[in-house]
Amino acid sequence: MGLFQPEHQNALRAIYGDAQSTYAGVLESLAVFLEEKVVPRSAALDAGGPGIGEVRRMLFDQGLCRMPFEAPGGMSLPFGIYSLAMELAGSADAATAMSMGVHCAVAEGINRFGGESLKESFFEDLISGRKLAAFALTEPSSGSDARSMSTRAVRTGSGYVINGSKMFITNAGEADVYFVFAKTEKGHAAFLVDRSTPGLSTGEDLAKLGMRGSRTAEVRFEDCAIPAERLVGEDGKGFEYAKVMLNGSRIIMGSICVGIARAAYGKALAYGLQRNLFGQRLADLPLTREKIANMRTEITSGRMLCLYASRLREMGLDYASEAAQAKVFSTEMAARVCDHVIQVFAGYGYTDSDIHRHWRDARLLTIGEGTSEVLRLLIAGREVAGSR
Amino acid sequence: MSDILSYSEDGGLALELSAGAAALAVASAGGACALVMDASAGAGSRGPVLVLRGDAPLAGDHELVAQAILAAAKTRGSSVVLIGATKLGRQVAGKLAVMAGMGVLSDVRDLKVEDGKLTGMRGVYAGRFNARLSSPLPCIALVPRGAYQATASGPAPEEELKVSVLPSRVRHLEERPKSKESVDLRTAKIIVAAGRGFKKKEDLALAEGLVEALGGVLGASRPLSSDLGWLGEERHVGLTGIYVRPNLYIAVGISGQLQHVAGMKDSRVIVAINRDKQAPIFQVADYGIVGDLYQVLPALMGVLRS
Amino acid sequence: MNIVVCVKHAVDESELKADSAGKPQLQGALSKMSNFDRNAVEEAVKLKESRTGTVTVVSLGSGDWKKSIKEALAMGCDRAIAVNSGSALDALSTSYYLSRAVRRSGPVDLVVFSEGSSDTYQGLVAPMTAEWLKLPFLGYVRKLEVGDGRIRCELALEEGERVAEASLPAAISVVSEINSPRYPTLLQVMQASKKPMEEVSLDSLRDEEAPRGGVSVAEVQVVSVSRKRILFEGTPEESSRMLVDALKKEGLV
Repeated sequence: MGLFQPEHQNALRAIYGDAQSTYAGVLESLAVFLEEKVVPRSAALDAGGPGIGEVRRMLFDQGLCRMPFEAPGGMSLPFGIYSLAMELAGSADAATAMSMGVHCAVAEGINRFGGESLKESFFEDLISGRKLAAFALTEPSSGSDARSMSTRAVRTGSGYVINGSKMFITNAGEADVYFVFAKTEKGHAAFLVDRSTPGLSTGEDLAKLGMRGSRTAEVRFEDCAIPAERLVGEDGKGFEYAKVMLNGSRIIMGSICVGIARAAYGKALAYGLQRNLFGQRLADLPLTREKIANMRTEITSGRMLCLYASRLREMGLDYASEAAQAKVFSTEMAARVCDHVIQVFAGYGYTDSDIHRHWRDARLLTIGEGTSEVLRLLIAGREVAGSR
Repeated sequence: MSDILSYSEDGGLALELSAGAAALAVASAGGACALVMDASAGAGSRGPVLVLRGDAPLAGDHELVAQAILAAAKTRGSSVVLIGATKLGRQVAGKLAVMAGMGVLSDVRDLKVEDGKLTGMRGVYAGRFNARLSSPLPCIALVPRGAYQATASGPAPEEELKVSVLPSRVRHLEERPKSKESVDLRTAKIIVAAGRGFKKKEDLALAEGLVEALGGVLGASRPLSSDLGWLGEERHVGLTGIYVRPNLYIAVGISGQLQHVAGMKDSRVIVAINRDKQAPIFQVADYGIVGDLYQVLPALMGVLRS
Repeated sequence: MNIVVCVKHAVDESELKADSAGKPQLQGALSKMSNFDRNAVEEAVKLKESRTGTVTVVSLGSGDWKKSIKEALAMGCDRAIAVNSGSALDALSTSYYLSRAVRRSGPVDLVVFSEGSSDTYQGLVAPMTAEWLKLPFLGYVRKLEVGDGRIRCELALEEGERVAEASLPAAISVVSEINSPRYPTLLQVMQASKKPMEEVSLDSLRDEEAPRGGVSVAEVQVVSVSRKRILFEGTPEESSRMLVDALKKEGLV
């Protein structure tokens, strides 16, 4: 199946009007690349194969992580186009898309908050993929309540010493740099720490239900000393930076889920047209028609929410609530859709990893980058306070 | 003296085409004439033969052959020329068409002359559709193997025509003929075709085992012949390879891309063996086994032997 | 070295659907650059990159055929001539207009085609265009070498390989084994829109040599695939036994 479908063309027309043909060309080219070079490797990655580095490399070389950033290094494309690109990547291989999504969020953090010195040293390496990044916020004892983290960074003569540990970190063990949040005297701060820094160690790769192509592990800091230049931006502003970075990556995780759902739905629809029972096609039975209609509507809805939040961001408007809405809806939607897809395939859905991996992959994302629960608190909090 | 001319450098195809030209000639109350380059055709032709001779050999060079056919067509007042649909044939037809202002119906069967037009049927969109094409005369038809049946008969009346041609602008430096494997998939009744499901060249022994057990011939999808070179081009079944119509076609480890299916879709019975139940090959197969070929083939051979 | 490569915006045959009357639904059907044309573009661009020169991509088409031209530009062609054909033309007319567009592009050393298009696969337009341009033609090139005003090629023929050569300017068709087409980066795709593309009409190219009449398509009908689609399940032994039984019933073993 072609990953770039008429519905993507229509979304471009509806949201971007005349500019859509340039954007369509870029997304179609990416779609062909994903179909030919990434989709065939997805099953092996899910089976625990080691190839994600190579797949990431190919997508970095294509320029996936340059899309939302300003030229000359970036492609100056609207965030919504990057969001659609990540949807397509999510359809091709969700683990790779997620791995690159968190990496690109770190690139954004360096770009926005890093100061000239860090930007010069790292930004091009990050958007080119020469260096891989990990986003280290969550800890063994603090996920949703991220502010209460226990990792501490203490000021010394030459820099900082970090003690603590981070948990469930995507790209841990592979990353060249870690974007680490820690408590300081002034509140919270963010640091960019090299993998080779003495005192930094990573745990064993965690066995996950889904997203198995990507590495996830604990990252430990034991008297990990870093120079002062590695402080990102201002000491005390770390948590603010985290919130900004998470806004963008929440849209992206939502888009990846739209992609997962779209890929799974495509398979279910094709199967429904071929499978015969009771003298008809499966797709003609009323209860299947109902599922098809619901899945179709929900996928369109998730995509539109992600694009809406993207457009607000593009226009410089506050989009934190909309990003959270897009993520809550799209991630929960993807799990629902993929669950229906398993049901459509019945016994094959339960036994064929090409089918059930979509549900297993999607299932992570109501948890990572802000659980649905904590995001609902954010959304409702804004509504009740009336603050926009 | 309006003759329907036929030509192919491939002897078997030439015989089929001369039968076709004869059939068309009967229907249009004209004559037919088979063209041969340089030397006499020998036994087994059907109908009159015209041997074309130049100062130097003509055969094998599309520039020379096209000019020679044009000379013959002018002499015979021909409005229909059948050319065998080989690589050389296409190049000859292309040059001749422009030189003489003739349309080309390519890869067509079921040719008919009606109302001053030549019509024929061909597969389009990788064989998913059939199209009836029509061209005003004069016209060239590129005809594939199997469109007509050769009828063997005794030696036929032969004439010679001296043609004057411009020298070719293509210089042939070296010929590297294939080792003469007398395998012709086009006449095989049973074909077992191997695809990407085979992980190593050595594993093709499994397919060969099945070939032997069934008394068939080994074929290949494009990746195995052209890309990997595990099997020769003469075994490549597909849109850009050979078109086959065996009684039994067993596709092993072949996903069923349209490019491949176009070459075998008219087989009487198609069997597919593939581990991926979603593989498109199962849509065009009569019988299928979803399973690992490394287990299924030995099991299948076991059953056949008992 | 001035190279021209010709590409076709072909219907994606794998996505093409048939309507209820069995006719192909061409309206709104997905089209893309014919697969084998990617090899032709790659070879042209590679040649240019190995020396100085320009590659002009020429395509005759209608509808959204400029998309394929942009793909070729993204792969490294320098400029384009887009011939708007209105409706589909047969090979003789297509090659004629292509030849006029090639002439319009300026002095040319080499014209590159693929071995055939993915939707109709005739392999005629290449030798015909060569003849319109009065250029020597080398077909089914698997490997090539250019130098000293000549092109030397390994040709992949049915009976084996042939090494042949012709003086430039010349025209060739290449087989897909000749190379692995590059995937342009997203940036190259975006920048393709900035490369010069000239659109021309058939009228502006036509002269007194234009062919008349032509091959027409009287009728297209879907080939109904009426296969049994019986799947045998179970262990390899069980499914093999069932298959052999079925083949026995068919009189094949």
